[in-house]
Amino acid sequence: MRIVIDILIAVGFIFALAGAKGVIQMPDAFCRMQASTCITTLGILGVALGGALYAFFVLGSVGTGVKVLLLGLLILTINPIGAHSIAKGAYKSGVRPEKEMEIDDYGRDFHD
Amino acid sequence: MPKTKLPAVVSTFCLCFVFWLLLTWSFTAQEMIAGAVVSLAVALFTSHFFIHEDAFWLLRPAKLAALISYAFVFLAELVKANVDVAGRCFAGCKDVNPGIVKVPVDLKGDYAEDMLANSITLTPGTITLDIAEQDGKTWYYIHWIDVAETDREKAGELIKGRLEKEIRRIWE
Repeated sequence: MRIVIDILIAVGFIFALAGAKGVIQMPDAFCRMQASTCITTLGILGVALGGALYAFFVLGSVGTGVKVLLLGLLILTINPIGAHSIAKGAYKSGVRPEKEMEIDDYGRDFHD
Repeated sequence: MPKTKLPAVVSTFCLCFVFWLLLTWSFTAQEMIAGAVVSLAVALFTSHFFIHEDAFWLLRPAKLAALISYAFVFLAELVKANVDVAGRCFAGCKDVNPGIVKVPVDLKGDYAEDMLANSITLTPGTITLDIAEQDGKTWYYIHWIDVAETDREKAGELIKGRLEKEIRRIWE
């Protein structure tokens, strides 16, 4: 059981590391947001699942495990709302990538 | 403003109370009575924002089965997209080709559209910027980290994958 827990937490760390690297190195604001979704999905899920299993089987505390699982579920449901409004707000306030985008339907339809 | 209806209040109350029980995880009488009072107050004031349609759809077996199968499909898509974006990040973040595509969506109801938009945003590599209605059709504006297809229908197939079908099964 301990091995499964360690693997889950390690997977979470790897995806969080990838997301952090992307947030620093990606070329523009929108791509940086895309990289940060890595942290909030598989990064959080891996660590939360591993933590919950740790609480169930090693600590023997069911309440803590359920709380950690709920935390993961709540982050999954609430996160996209924030991501969507940050991205839309950035676009509306005039943030554009330095390099021309491959296709920009949004800018074509709402050029105000 | 829609009126507060009894089924909506009951279902909101049940949801709040289950969350209370899971978060406190103590089943003494005092805690449960306090939770019931708080949940009832919350349900009375917020149920008309929360429930617009059938209050007990989750109790129908077909819908519950559709929701569970959606969860597995979504997890598979999530892992696939995560591996893709994490690979790009580790490879030096140069291999990106961003753009905003407009994608047609054929779903009925606010909940279904909201669920698909949130699923797309939660998948790394795609963020829903806006939802617009034109000519009786619903369109999503989606920022895509690697534009593989500029044709709207085909891009939609690539981005939405099986998610749209699963969500249609849940809400219709």
